[in-house]
Amino acid sequence: MFLQQLVNGLIIGGIYAMIAVGYTMIYGVVQLINFAHGEIYMLGAFFAVTFISVLGLPFYAAFILSMACCAICGMLLDVVAYRPLRNSPRLAALITAIGMSIFLQNLAMIIWGSRPKPFPHGTVPAYFDNTAVTFGGVNLSWFHLFIFGLTLVMMIGLNLIIKKTRWGKAMRAVAQNKTMAALTGINVNRVITYTFALAGALGGAAGVMVGAYYNSLYPTMGYVAGVKAFAAAVLGGIGSVPGAMLGGVLLGVAEALGAGYLSSLYRDGISYAVMIIVIILIPAGLFGKLIKETKKSM
Amino acid sequence: MRNKRNFLFIGLALCFAVIFGMTSTVMAADTIRIGVASPFTGDLASYGDNIKAGVNLKLKEINDAGGINGKKVELVWGDDLCAPKEAGTVGAKFAADKSIVAVVGHLCSSATLAAMPIYVRAGMPTISPTSTNPTIGDVGKGWFFRNCYTDDYQGKYLAKEVVPKLLGKKKVAIFYENNDYAIGLKDSFVAGAKEAGIEVTGVEAYVAKTTDFTPQLTKLLTAKPEAIFLCGYHPEGALIAGQARKLGFNGPLFGADGIDNVDYIKIGGKATDNTYLTVPFLAQSAGPAGQAFAKSFKESAGRDVDWMSANAYDCLGILAQVIAKTGPDRKKIRDGLAALNSEATGYKGVTGLTYFDEKGNCAKPAFVKMVKDGKFVPAE
Repeated sequence: MFLQQLVNGLIIGGIYAMIAVGYTMIYGVVQLINFAHGEIYMLGAFFAVTFISVLGLPFYAAFILSMACCAICGMLLDVVAYRPLRNSPRLAALITAIGMSIFLQNLAMIIWGSRPKPFPHGTVPAYFDNTAVTFGGVNLSWFHLFIFGLTLVMMIGLNLIIKKTRWGKAMRAVAQNKTMAALTGINVNRVITYTFALAGALGGAAGVMVGAYYNSLYPTMGYVAGVKAFAAAVLGGIGSVPGAMLGGVLLGVAEALGAGYLSSLYRDGISYAVMIIVIILIPAGLFGKLIKETKKSM
Repeated sequence: MRNKRNFLFIGLALCFAVIFGMTSTVMAADTIRIGVASPFTGDLASYGDNIKAGVNLKLKEINDAGGINGKKVELVWGDDLCAPKEAGTVGAKFAADKSIVAVVGHLCSSATLAAMPIYVRAGMPTISPTSTNPTIGDVGKGWFFRNCYTDDYQGKYLAKEVVPKLLGKKKVAIFYENNDYAIGLKDSFVAGAKEAGIEVTGVEAYVAKTTDFTPQLTKLLTAKPEAIFLCGYHPEGALIAGQARKLGFNGPLFGADGIDNVDYIKIGGKATDNTYLTVPFLAQSAGPAGQAFAKSFKESAGRDVDWMSANAYDCLGILAQVIAKTGPDRKKIRDGLAALNSEATGYKGVTGLTYFDEKGNCAKPAFVKMVKDGKFVPAE
C-alpha cells in the first residue's frame, strides 16, 4: 500500500507543482499573488474539451492549442487587470486578482454551465488506461507515465528558459530590480506579460491533464486546486521556481500518505499542517530567501 | 475572500427581499405564493432542475384547473446551492415575505437543517421532497414534513436487503462524504450491517468537490471488500467509481438516492456499470397513477422522470390539497398537514400514499435500481 500511496501522492503533487510554478514565477517578477491563476487552470480544461467536442480535434492537438489559449488568457489578464495597477499599492492588485478569479469562475459558469462535465467519451487516447509497468504490486498506467513525464519535461524546460535564454535573463533581472532592469534597456512590461503567458501555458497544461485524468470538469475546480498550489508555492519559498516544484510534490505526497495512514477526513488539513510546520521552522520556505522588509517603491 | 463574497450575497439578498416584499403586498390578494428552495445553480444544480420540473408540472395542472379555490398559485424560487449558509439566507427571505404561505424544500439535508430553525421561529410550514436525514424531524418542531423516507430506513434497507440478498455479498467498504446526509446514512447502514451480519472492512471519508480519491480508495481496497458503498452525491460518486475501477476493483458498487442522477452515468461512463441504488420512486414499479405521471412528465420535461421530480410533484399536490381546505394561512396549513396522520387521511399521489407521524416523517418503501450497459434499469 505504501508504494501505491506514494504513486498517488506523486501524481497529485506533480499537478500541484505545475500550478504552483505559475504562482511563484509571477510573484517573482511582480510580487503579486495572482489568485486568478487557478481559474486559468480551469479554463485550460474547458478549452480542451471545447476544442475536442466542437472542433473535433484529436487529444494532443487540443492539448497544445489549449496551452496556447491559456497563455493568451494569462497575457490578457496582465494587460487588462494588472498592468494599469502596476504602480498602485500592492493591495489594490491583490484585490483585483481576487476579483478576476470570481469573474472568470462565473464567466465559465455562463459559457459552459455549472453541471460537472466529462471529457467527451473516447477522445482521450485509449492506451492511456493500459498498464505500462508493474512494480511491487503497483500498476502504473500510461497516463501516469504521461503525467510524470510531462511534468518533468516542462519543469526542466522551464529551468532552461529561466537559466539559459536571454529572455530568462531578462526575467531574472526584472525580478531583482525593475528600475535597474529598465535602465539597461529591458522592456519591463513586456517581460512581465510574457511571464504571465508562460505561467498560463503551464497552468493550462495542468488543467487539461487533470480534466482528462479525473474526467470531470466544473467551473469552480480552479479554486481548491489554486489554494493548494499556492500553499505549495509558499512551502517551497514563494518566488523560487525549484521551491515551487518541490513544494508541490511534497504537499501531494503528504496528502496521500496522510489520508492513507492517518485520517482521510483531515486529508486537506494534513497537507496544510505540513505547510504551516515548514513555514514555522523555515519562515522563508524551503528555497526562499529571507528579505528584510525595506521601504522601497510601494 | 469567501467573506467578501458573502457580504455581496447578503447585500443582494436584502435588496431582493425588499423588492419582493413590496411587490408581494400588491399581488397577495389574488394569488397563493409558495416558496421552492433547492440548489438551482452550483454543483448540484441538476437536482434543482429535477425539483423545478416536478413542481412546474403540478403547478400547471393546478392553475389550468382554475387554481386553489379560484386563486392562482405562484411559485417563488430560492437558490440555496445545497450550502447551509445560503440556505439560511433563502430561509430568512421566505420567512420575512408574509405573502409566502408554505415552502417546498430544501433539497439537501444540510440545507434543510440550517434553514429549519428560521422556519420554526417564523411559523412557516415546510415540506421537503428529498431531505432524508433522520434528525430533521426533531429540529422541525412540528413545522417540518417530508414525503420521502429517512436514512434510518434507507441505510438499514441497504444493509439488510440489498447487500446480502440482491448482491449476495458479505464484506463491504464504506466511503462517505462529510455532511449531514451521508453521515446519517452511514451510521444507519453500520447499525443495519451489524444486525444482518455484514462485515464492514473499512470506513473512509471525503470532502465535497474533491477530485482525487485514490489515497482513500487504496486504503479501503487493501482490506479486500466485495462491494463499495458510495455514501454521498453523484458528482463525487461518479469519480469514485472511475478511480476504484482504475485501482482494479471489479465488484459491485452501491449507493442511495444521492447517487441517482443521469449525470452519474454521464461522468462515470463504463465504470458505473454494476451500481445498485435505493430510490423512493421508480416509474417502472409505480402504480397506474405513477405510470400516467411518468408519461406526462416525459412529454413536458423531455426526459425520463426521476424520483426527485415525482416527490416534488407530490409535495406541491399535498400543499394544494391542504390549502384548499384550510385557506392560505401558515398556521392553518401546518395543522392541515399534521392532520394527514393515518392511512385513511393520507394523500394519494403518484409516489403512493403519504401520511405523517408527529415528527413529519412518512413511511414509504424503497425501490432498487441498477446501472446496466450505461442505463438505469430496475434491479432484478
